[in-house]
Amino acid sequence: MLAALALTVPAGLTACADDDATPAVKAEAAPRVCPASWRPGWQQLANRVHAAVYCPTWMPSPLDGDMKGATKNGVSVKPDRSWLASWLWHEPPSQDVHVNFRAYPGRTAIPRCEDTQVVAGKVRHRDIPCFSDAQPPHRVGRFRVTPYTVNQGVDQWHVLYLWRERGSIYTVSQHVAKPTPYRQVVANLDRIMRGLVRVGPTA
Amino acid sequence: MRLTRRELLIGGTAAAALGAVGVYELVDQLTEAPTRHFGEGRAPEQHLLDGLRIADDNGVEIVVPTLHHEMVTATVSSRPGLQEQAALERVLRHLEDKHPGTPDGLAVTAAWGLPYFRRHVAGAAERHLPVDRRASASGRPRRALLDSIRFPSDPDDVVLEENDVAFLLRSDNLDHIQEGATAIVDAMDDVLEMTSIRKGFAGGGFDGGPGLPKQLATAAGVPGADLIPDGSELFLGFTSTQRHALGPPRIVNFETLGLVDLGPGSYFQGGTHMHLSHVFENLEAWYLNFDFAERVDTTFRPRLAVEPGTRTVPQPPETAASPSDVASDFRRFGAIGHSSSMQSTSRLQADVMGADGTLYRKGTAVPQRADFNTLDNPFFWSSRPRRDGMADGPAPGLHFVVFNPSSDDFHRNRLAMDGVLPDGTKIGLEPRARGQGFNSVLRTTHRQNFLVPPRSHRSFPLVEVSA
Repeated sequence: MLAALALTVPAGLTACADDDATPAVKAEAAPRVCPASWRPGWQQLANRVHAAVYCPTWMPSPLDGDMKGATKNGVSVKPDRSWLASWLWHEPPSQDVHVNFRAYPGRTAIPRCEDTQVVAGKVRHRDIPCFSDAQPPHRVGRFRVTPYTVNQGVDQWHVLYLWRERGSIYTVSQHVAKPTPYRQVVANLDRIMRGLVRVGPTA
Repeated sequence: MRLTRRELLIGGTAAAALGAVGVYELVDQLTEAPTRHFGEGRAPEQHLLDGLRIADDNGVEIVVPTLHHEMVTATVSSRPGLQEQAALERVLRHLEDKHPGTPDGLAVTAAWGLPYFRRHVAGAAERHLPVDRRASASGRPRRALLDSIRFPSDPDDVVLEENDVAFLLRSDNLDHIQEGATAIVDAMDDVLEMTSIRKGFAGGGFDGGPGLPKQLATAAGVPGADLIPDGSELFLGFTSTQRHALGPPRIVNFETLGLVDLGPGSYFQGGTHMHLSHVFENLEAWYLNFDFAERVDTTFRPRLAVEPGTRTVPQPPETAASPSDVASDFRRFGAIGHSSSMQSTSRLQADVMGADGTLYRKGTAVPQRADFNTLDNPFFWSSRPRRDGMADGPAPGLHFVVFNPSSDDFHRNRLAMDGVLPDGTKIGLEPRARGQGFNSVLRTTHRQNFLVPPRSHRSFPLVEVSA
């Protein structure tokens, strides 16, 4: 099974180059494009939240970025337009490849999460940052990202990259779990970031 | 630098394992032995180590631990007599003559388990083993050395070991450790059967750089290694040898605090008690599930204000937590601090005039820890690999070594860590609950209590009395 998890570039990359208007990316020999089979889902999401989203052009195998693909784990949009798009591959008993994309349109503050614990038989709720233990920010491609190593909810046990753009927060995270150790997760997130393509709303 | 599997794993015979260093050779490659201020002579106590450097981090005084540690355990295969007693003493003296008892030399501590006293010197032990006055207060006399027990957060499969003897070797020089361990085992080959070898390291980052725990864990490729903060003394990221968090030199002697009745002849005066355990540490769980604030909360005390990134947190006597503080913290925050929970038992609750003439102030720490990180899985070598759960590959963990005045004193501290406080309060933590922080990412595999005789009786204690 591990052999099947070798890093691959998804097939079916077709033109949607005008999605990415950044000079740095245009300077590359082959401009990144949102794969044709993945694009409808991302475009639909951008239209639904009335804000730009970022389509990946590479995902760690065996995941893809197709919102209707075999490894999709769901898309959810809240009334405040914040959204989560998730891909998951699970091999029993304990192997996972799990990548989440999030955005919080119009918000730059770290969102808050409710932590629920049962302590001595009593349920306790705490309001805590959804992303914490920020590591030093660094540049990946054209993005200045801040890695967070302690995260909540479906990003728990993930390394999460966060960046702010045009007054909004965007994140991408991957689960640190077999078969992907921490260092490989960081490498994967770097590669995902370098390939992101902006998809703006059209409706 | 990444190690090959062959470099990490040392199999085969005990003799080969004794002479092998495996991943731990990196300790010498990764750091230079620091300059030490040397003490002179040998104290009557075996557990004391002269010349330990005091460093400063974040304005806090730190006792700099030795870089290399090794524990060799054994059983006594035949009834020892005066000849064997003299032979072991001879080799220990030889090592002392050759190396000062300082970090740049070699410190050897011989500790003896209850199985030794029961099997080989039972009559003399009945008369001379110290009695714990405090533990005996309820009526039944209890020795200062008790069988080890399982604690509430221990897994059911913790091995309660029955070694006769353990030799703790400490030095900044790996060669000295190897020489010492080999000399002891070779000299006593006909009477000691080695049961395990446990190796490890600590510190190395107080003067800058990533420190040994991070370097070795990274070299071994263990999960979570990259998340260890640079300069950490131990895998879990915080300094644990603040001077105020360790007992002063003779406070753990049986006689000092008056906890122990030495009995007729005070045979074990100057001795102490040692607990040895092995604990696996899940570094990814610690660093990916607990943010810095929660790591501080559960390592020290809930809502303690500590600047992010701090490695060394002050632990002064005047802020030592009482049992009511711990219970109150738990009610308010649903968590207890590893340190604060134990301070209710590990710190003096009142001023005590010690038998050594020292006035020990309220809040003074009692236990003296000598624990060290390891990549053993769970041991470097075992004579009983199946029973000990020996597994391939490196695994981050801790060989926990601590000196207390008695087994009961250690048990009180360890129970407090699980929320069983000395005033009888049980704060209701589930075993390995998240609110325990540390405990939720630890898994203990082995435990045993030992008696550390004074230097004068370190070799097969009580044999001459029995004879």
